[in-house]
Amino acid sequence: MRTLAWRGVRNNLGRYVATLVAIITGVGFFTATTFVSDRVISSLEGDVDQQYGNVDAAVVLADSTADLSGDPGKDLKLSARQADRITSVPGVDGSAGLLTAPVAFPPRRGHPSAKAATGRLWIDDAELNPLELTSGRAPKGAGEVAVDRGLAESVDLKVGSRVKVATLAGAFDATVVGVTKFGSADALDQDGTVSVPAAAAFDWLNSGQREYQALYLRGSVDQAQLEREIKPLTPEGYTAQTGEQFLTDQRESTGAIGRYLKQALQAFALLALFVGAFVIYNTFSVIVAQRLRELAVLAAIGATPKQIKRSLRLEGLIIGLLGSALGVVAGLVLTFVLIAVLKAVGVELPGSGIKVGLAPVVQGILLGTVITFLSVNIPARRAAKTEPIEALRISAVDATSFSRRRKITAAVLVVLGAGGLVAGGSWAAIGFGALLLFVGVIVAGPFIALGGARLARPLMKPFGLEGRLAVDNVARNPGRTATTANALLIGVFLVTLVTAAGTSVKDFAVGELKKLQSADFIITSEGGSIDPQLQADFKRIDGVKAITPFRRETVTIDGKVARLSSGDIPAIQKVADLEFARGSAADLQPGTIAVTEADGGPRLGARVRVTDSTGKSQTLRVSALLAPTIDAQQIGALTAEPTFAGLVGRTAPTVAFLDVDSGAQTKTKDAIEARADQRPDITAEEGNVTGQLVSSIFDFVINAVNGLLGMSVIVALIGIINTLSLSILERRRELGLLRVVGMLDGRVQRMVRLESLVIAGLGTFAGIALGLFSAWALIFSIDRIAEADIGFSLPIGQTLLVLVLGLGLGLLAALIPARRSTRLDVLEAIQAT
Amino acid sequence: MVSQAVSTAAARAVDARKTYGEGDAVVHALAGVTVSFPVGRFTAIMGPSGSGKSTLMQCVAGLDRLTSGSAFIGDTDISTLSKTDLALLRRDRLGFIFQQYNLIPSLNARENALLPLTLAGREPEQAWFDEIIATVGLGERLKNLPSQLSGGQQQRVAVARALVPRPDIVFADEPTGALDSRSGAEILTFMRRAVDDSGQTIVMVTHDPHAASYADNVLFLADGQIVDEMPEPTTDRVLDRMKRFEV
Repeated sequence: MRTLAWRGVRNNLGRYVATLVAIITGVGFFTATTFVSDRVISSLEGDVDQQYGNVDAAVVLADSTADLSGDPGKDLKLSARQADRITSVPGVDGSAGLLTAPVAFPPRRGHPSAKAATGRLWIDDAELNPLELTSGRAPKGAGEVAVDRGLAESVDLKVGSRVKVATLAGAFDATVVGVTKFGSADALDQDGTVSVPAAAAFDWLNSGQREYQALYLRGSVDQAQLEREIKPLTPEGYTAQTGEQFLTDQRESTGAIGRYLKQALQAFALLALFVGAFVIYNTFSVIVAQRLRELAVLAAIGATPKQIKRSLRLEGLIIGLLGSALGVVAGLVLTFVLIAVLKAVGVELPGSGIKVGLAPVVQGILLGTVITFLSVNIPARRAAKTEPIEALRISAVDATSFSRRRKITAAVLVVLGAGGLVAGGSWAAIGFGALLLFVGVIVAGPFIALGGARLARPLMKPFGLEGRLAVDNVARNPGRTATTANALLIGVFLVTLVTAAGTSVKDFAVGELKKLQSADFIITSEGGSIDPQLQADFKRIDGVKAITPFRRETVTIDGKVARLSSGDIPAIQKVADLEFARGSAADLQPGTIAVTEADGGPRLGARVRVTDSTGKSQTLRVSALLAPTIDAQQIGALTAEPTFAGLVGRTAPTVAFLDVDSGAQTKTKDAIEARADQRPDITAEEGNVTGQLVSSIFDFVINAVNGLLGMSVIVALIGIINTLSLSILERRRELGLLRVVGMLDGRVQRMVRLESLVIAGLGTFAGIALGLFSAWALIFSIDRIAEADIGFSLPIGQTLLVLVLGLGLGLLAALIPARRSTRLDVLEAIQAT
Repeated sequence: MVSQAVSTAAARAVDARKTYGEGDAVVHALAGVTVSFPVGRFTAIMGPSGSGKSTLMQCVAGLDRLTSGSAFIGDTDISTLSKTDLALLRRDRLGFIFQQYNLIPSLNARENALLPLTLAGREPEQAWFDEIIATVGLGERLKNLPSQLSGGQQQRVAVARALVPRPDIVFADEPTGALDSRSGAEILTFMRRAVDDSGQTIVMVTHDPHAASYADNVLFLADGQIVDEMPEPTTDRVLDRMKRFEV
């Protein structure tokens, strides 16, 4: 049996090419994604090892895995006294306290918007400091800071730069004395790290209290012993860890992004493999059908059904192993290509090189082999049923009939599935409904193929005999047609579903955001002013209705960085969405202020201390609250003219809201931006940036997901090529006969192309229909269960694109089989067995 | 050996009936055939197209099932056997030669000839194998794939495949139907020698009077029933008998 299986593989290698390609594609994609994400994970974890490798013991918050980014919401801290007692334990050679708090660089010339970052106590113990200096020196005295490499670039800072740093305790002048990096990354904190020396850190970051969020220790004794000794000194809410435990936790939390990435990418790879399973199944079915005679001979001379089954399974196993092994190699190549391509478009993945771990290789081979083996099982079982009497008949064309029972099963599944999707009472029921519907459509495949062929018949009429024969061929073996089309259907279905559901949610979200009215444009001047000439210039632009300038300054209110504005309130309200939640414009008497309403923010009647950048401060009473609209963020807090002047002096307006006509936005926008570009200090921003941002994020996600789904469509393409090639092989005689009686080669090839087109059309149309319906039902159910009112948006453009692509794939798939159909000599073709 | 075996039947059919279709369209391929094939004899089954000769052989050989009646290989009632048991019976006790040779294209001549033994997991008796290969004259072709052999050579491999496991009976279905007359005569000679030299039992379906003349006995079938029998046949006598069917 083993010889037979081997020989079977060797002799039919040509027929197995598509199966191999399908396995290689799927496994290769899987392995590549694993390699890439493993590299990201290991480099992230490697950074942790490199930076915290010297930590022998740590005292961290008990209820979390010591979040490195430092969450200001966690109030619990270690006092300096507690820390000192721990660090004076014998055996402790060095220590480092963790203290972080948000800071920001207020807007300045060339950088109109504030840049938030994380302020971090600089650790003097070089072995415990996670950061490395790339240039300059460590910050020492008050007023010295080090910034990370990323911030240095984005905020345009270098050693020697003087900069204002807004902190919880107010704004401070600082000098950049060093630039840092964290392992292979720029910063330890996502938004950037500003290192502050101990001399200033407690004042800037912790309102003067000498406290730490965590403590790292370096010791000369055994880690476990150190941990035992500091344990009794660890205050409540904190826990002592050995360096090893600490490292494990850090690795866990730092590598998490990489792991999510891995899971997401692998999901798509598995999908490609799943689609590949259809191709594999189909190939084996066809191969079994074509070798029916051979199998029947085996049965006749005494091979038991079990032996036949085992032989085919063994063939599957060999093909699976071979394909998977090649797939792993392809995956390795793909990884290098992927990294190179990403690098070319400017995305540098962290880490270097690829570590070929045993695990991804074994996983890849196992997955590919198991999927192939499973896909082979049904055809193998069918082959085992072969009657020996078939050896004596000459038919080799696989003709399966479909039972009534199958029809009923499919109908029940589709109805239950659609019902569950539309009327399910829980998310689980809806998900199950979607699954049932999908399975139902797959089961109904042959009937859809028959129905589709019937529908295609009149469309094929203009193509004459070729058209007719093409449809006949599609309908001749509806089972095989359905499996081929199903591979494409899955891809098209998912692409349509993601696009339609995604677009609907996007339109909804953007629509909701658009309801939040805002000024159309915000003009900001850095270092200059919005002078009357400029106002007039903007006003002259076709489509601009009004421009309202106002004064604005960055201050701190009760120690928090904020914007303070003043201007013609009724005029502002005309162009911008400025509303009073409590009180009104009339309440803004001298000595009072209106702040934006916020949880935990100042209440009506409260007194707040407002300090300007020069340190001058004044206490004001809150007499009104602004509703938290988009434009209120631009304004921040509002005072009457005299109060503003008393605080920051009589300045010229530096900001303006611009109102434009609702039509012809693009041209007006271009003109506004062109005018702004003429002056270096002027920036023009669209008001509702959030809406556009959300919209572009959705577009990116939808496109990225669809791009990844493209993998499965490629596998489906291979499937069509394969089925057509095999069916041409088994119809050699028939095609030969057509040519003998006078059908020209061109027309034979056209017939093959039309057949491919019909199959691709079936998969594409069914996939789009199923995708659109599922998307609609999903949105409908989301609205129903979550009581939302997301409308269903039909993405007409994208749907048409999918349709055109699907049919195009069909024509593309026919290229090779069509050529092959007429390659054989006519005489040989009719004599073929 | 031959003389003592004549009395026992290697295979039998008792009131064998096989029908296709239903109602008005019913076709009786076998309409109650009772026959026995004696051990160590070469029996030919003849008859016009549609007479049921192939069906009879297939049902007795366990390739197809009877609608009613029973068929025996030795003392085994094969109509009661499961699919797997039938396969095992064919493997261990029967040999087959088909018109279309039906070799496995991926195996070479030697492997094809040994296939039934391989399937059974049995070791070939080397001397016996060599003798058969020498008889059918395949010595130099053993490593060739079927596609590299002529039709006559392929059929010789098929004959070797049928004889190597020393089956109780060899069933041959038009073994010379696809061959030129010289190759056909060679094949028939090998079959005859197997009966004469080793006491092999052979049942052959054919429509060729010359092929039938190699047999010890000829059974004539018409419309699903045995209508005549001819011991010690010659080509001319069989031809004459066959001509009577046509009127």
